[in-house]
Amino acid sequence: MGLRDDLERFREVGEERREDLADFIQYGDLAGSGPGEINIPVKIVSLPEFEYDRRDQGGVGQGEDGTPDAGQPVGQPQPQPGDDDGEDGEPGEEGGDHEYYEMDPEEFAEELDEELGLDLDPKGKKVVEEKEGPFTDLTRTGPNSTLDFERMFKEGLKRKLAMDFDEEFLRELCKVEGISPREVFEWARGENLPVSMAWIEEAYSDVPDDERGKWASIEAVEDNVERESVQQKIRREGIQHVPFRREDERYRHPEIIEEKEKNVVVVNIRDVSGSMREKKRELVERTFTPLDWYLQGKYDNAEFVYIAHDADAWAVERDEFFGIRSGGGTKISSAYELAQQLLEEYPWSDWNRYVFAAGDSENSSNDTEERVIPLMEEIPANLHAYVETQPSGNAINATHAEELERHFGTDADDVAVAYVNDQSDVTDAIYDILSTEGEADE
Amino acid sequence: MSKRNSNADRFRKQAIAGELEEPVSEARNLAEKLGLEPYPVKYWIIDYDEMNELIAYGGFQSRYPHWRWGMQYDKQQKQGQYGGGKAFEIVNNDNPAHAFLQESNTVADQKAVITHVEAHSDFFANNDWFGMFTGGRADEDQVNAAAMLERHARAIDEYMADPDIDRAEVEKWIDHCLSLEDNIDQHQVFTRRLDVDQPAAEIDEDLAEKLDELDLSDEIKGEVFDAEWVEKLEDEEITGSVPEEPQKDLLAFVREHGKQYDEAAGRGVEMEEWQRDILDMMRAEAYYFAAQKMTKVMNEGWAAYWESTMMTDEAFAGDDEFLNYADHMAKVLASGGLNPYSLGMELWEYVENTTNRQEVLEALLRVEGVSWRNLTDVVDVDDVLERLEPPEAIENITPDTLEQLEAVPDEWVDREALERAREGEIDLEKYPWKVLTYEGLARRHYSLVKRQHRGFLKRVSQNDLERIGRYLFDDARYDSVDEALENIDYAAGWDRLFDVRESHNDVTFLDEFLTQEFITENNYFTYEHSQATGQFHVASDAAEDVKKKLLLQFTNFGKPTIAVYDGNYNNANELLLGHQYNGVMLDLGQARETLKRIFELWGRPVNLLTIVKEVDEHDIEVAKRRNREPDAEEQGKLLRYDGQTMTTEDVPWEEVDHLAADDVDYDTKPDEWLA
Repeated sequence: MGLRDDLERFREVGEERREDLADFIQYGDLAGSGPGEINIPVKIVSLPEFEYDRRDQGGVGQGEDGTPDAGQPVGQPQPQPGDDDGEDGEPGEEGGDHEYYEMDPEEFAEELDEELGLDLDPKGKKVVEEKEGPFTDLTRTGPNSTLDFERMFKEGLKRKLAMDFDEEFLRELCKVEGISPREVFEWARGENLPVSMAWIEEAYSDVPDDERGKWASIEAVEDNVERESVQQKIRREGIQHVPFRREDERYRHPEIIEEKEKNVVVVNIRDVSGSMREKKRELVERTFTPLDWYLQGKYDNAEFVYIAHDADAWAVERDEFFGIRSGGGTKISSAYELAQQLLEEYPWSDWNRYVFAAGDSENSSNDTEERVIPLMEEIPANLHAYVETQPSGNAINATHAEELERHFGTDADDVAVAYVNDQSDVTDAIYDILSTEGEADE
Repeated sequence: MSKRNSNADRFRKQAIAGELEEPVSEARNLAEKLGLEPYPVKYWIIDYDEMNELIAYGGFQSRYPHWRWGMQYDKQQKQGQYGGGKAFEIVNNDNPAHAFLQESNTVADQKAVITHVEAHSDFFANNDWFGMFTGGRADEDQVNAAAMLERHARAIDEYMADPDIDRAEVEKWIDHCLSLEDNIDQHQVFTRRLDVDQPAAEIDEDLAEKLDELDLSDEIKGEVFDAEWVEKLEDEEITGSVPEEPQKDLLAFVREHGKQYDEAAGRGVEMEEWQRDILDMMRAEAYYFAAQKMTKVMNEGWAAYWESTMMTDEAFAGDDEFLNYADHMAKVLASGGLNPYSLGMELWEYVENTTNRQEVLEALLRVEGVSWRNLTDVVDVDDVLERLEPPEAIENITPDTLEQLEAVPDEWVDREALERAREGEIDLEKYPWKVLTYEGLARRHYSLVKRQHRGFLKRVSQNDLERIGRYLFDDARYDSVDEALENIDYAAGWDRLFDVRESHNDVTFLDEFLTQEFITENNYFTYEHSQATGQFHVASDAAEDVKKKLLLQFTNFGKPTIAVYDGNYNNANELLLGHQYNGVMLDLGQARETLKRIFELWGRPVNLLTIVKEVDEHDIEVAKRRNREPDAEEQGKLLRYDGQTMTTEDVPWEEVDHLAADDVDYDTKPDEWLA
């Protein structure tokens, strides 16, 4: 119970009742949304009530200076004191309250994937950032604080285990009747005890005279004296001394992780020449805007470049991009030249790149063949797309899209050509474009 | 409101509360001096977000869970400031009343809100229509609306928490009920359960008597207070699902006889416990809010009137705060053509001025040699106004002028307070009103000599003079104008205000006090829609037309009257509703949608008989060419919804004849209006 609950429920209800995403893209009001926030209209039906027919009811107004003459039109009725505050709007079919369901680009991309059956896997580009990982790599030098003491202790212990032997047993062995130090050494060697001849000779000479010949044979010692393994010995005596050696010293240092951040730069190119009428302009907006949202939602970091062109090209801000109109001719290559130049800031090694162009396929003669196609091939990108908007069917000179298709083929995985003749083509075009990008783009 | 409990937050609010302690208690003192009798008011300091939350929730802290509140809050947040004024005030009709002050308001705004709230609270406590919900018992146990709403909130929250009940279903059910929230019998004393087997609760015995006192026009009586209605109140009996009399309380009727529609079974089945319970709760809330809807103009006007009296006339806003306040007030009163604040306040001032004027004129007409025929000639009205000015001793009270109060009539002065003032216990610079009584304050703020009303006395028409003069006996009581003026009751205007605020609602208030003079002076006019031009045109500025039109907007919440005529229609337990046609047709789109909602609450087919106006397309064409209005034909219709299809069919006039009122006409179109 409470505000938070009710807000959450409102969001749920909004989600249920929001306009279908495809409908929204094709026919909805895109103007209510910003680059980072998509506002999808939600149809909330206001509660119906028995009411008078507004027109049959008439009303009361108040004149500013004097009373107006009978018959004078009054325009929209003034708010009436009996009216409920602000709860206007027809119920039923025609709407009700205008509410919006807010989506961020991530959610938008997810929903669009689902809606259109897309599956664009954004690629991480390399060398974005080196992060320090866990301290798991080791070197032989380093500051004391990173010394891996645990490792050095273990190594020392291992060494001790390897070097230690059952001294008491060997001393007993030296007491065997008529044995020589060399024979003890031979025996020890046979047992793989890490003992030196010098140690045996010293132990042999230390044997008191009355104990020499205590044992008749080596076998007698083996039978009577219990041998003790090193492990047992350490357990009994404890570790008095672990030999630390410089060669065992290891210093920890962090692992270097190369995080591949998913960066994307999207170049939007629009023909703003005289032949691009209002209707075409809207179709471009309906196609480009969702593409922008989608890529923004898919990548960690998205940058946008907007280029308008007629016979020349110039970079513009997003706000003005869809509104510009100019009277000039058309030379599409001008835009690609500018794009190439602007993309220098976003090296191909670090950035995913999408270059989207839209127009009515009209271009100056030979420009497509001689300039645009070579530029498209020269500019490395995940995807080059051209969106042709021709609400009224083909014009004679409008061959840019065709030429591209002829050159790149229809199943190229880094060039897409889409045709948008009216609003209902928009989602297909978006699908064509976004499903084109192949696995191998580098 | 304890959403944010950080200490800083609390301390800041406490500091503001500390500052406002004196204004709050002094506003109450002043209100009581002025004759108001408000419920106790609990003031809360809240921040901007909390204010938004309250506005979204209709002014109460705990309401039943519903996503619509969330939507309203969301909207509220986005709209930013509400209605342009930051001093937006919320006060609940409740005992105790709760009022909310936004912490960012200036002190002047806070004082304005406080004085405004005190007047509202007086209205809640004393207006009879508010008593309808409480059965006239206004003690705390009985009212405490906040507690009732919270109980409802908890109960509904529990239903929603029940795993067997889907929250969305509960919300939908609430929506169905809300579609009918104005379809109650708001002129009835609210009873929790409509007991179908026994006569409805006895009503206030002198209700009929009171209605007579109101002196309403026949038209209004016909509309809301007809004999049938009074009779119905007195011995109403509903047997089974066929009401003997058309039953206006649709919510109660479906509560008693309705079923829910079971989609799976394809038929109506008994309502669940929670459904019936929620219907009860929604109905109770509808009755509670009805009183406010019925008295909006009066109530807002009342609050604006006393706020202005306290803030401006009594300088409750300090000098430094006054400009700030005046600015705020201007904004509130200026917004939009007919806003309830300005319309209400103007009417209250009008009531006060006419009462005071009548008092003065009666006195003058009782002077030897003065009659309604010659009054304007023999009496110098400017001179009279001069004498009506409050004496200096009352007008300007400072510690140095206290002696002058000895000379004024005893009844004007609060002797005990005067003593304390002499001893310096009262801050006279700030609260000069403390040494006066109600009568003294009435003298001090006498309406007819206020700058904005100075012309009022002179503007009396010969007709009014005659009306007053003709029925006056004892008409030579005084020898001179001076003597007459000495006997004037200066509190007459205020006394009348208090009487009116007790017994009226907006309909009766407008009916009685919206006069020709008032309408003409404020340039009111009616407008009507033309079929020929497709737009609205000015229709009439005649007072009776304006009044008629305005009353249409207030009668029955400004909604058409719909009643249950049969709960066993077609002998198949179908519901038959009738639209009591007063010459204005229904919005059919809305009606159809509403029928669909009612179907959910009835569980079986629902029908609505109504009358519509139909105009032939050809006639419209002809009318357009001839620049006149086509004639519409009235046709009976039956709307029917069976859960799947909506049908609309013509019915013969005999079937709807009983629904058509023949004595009302809200059409104000002149005969030759587009020429």
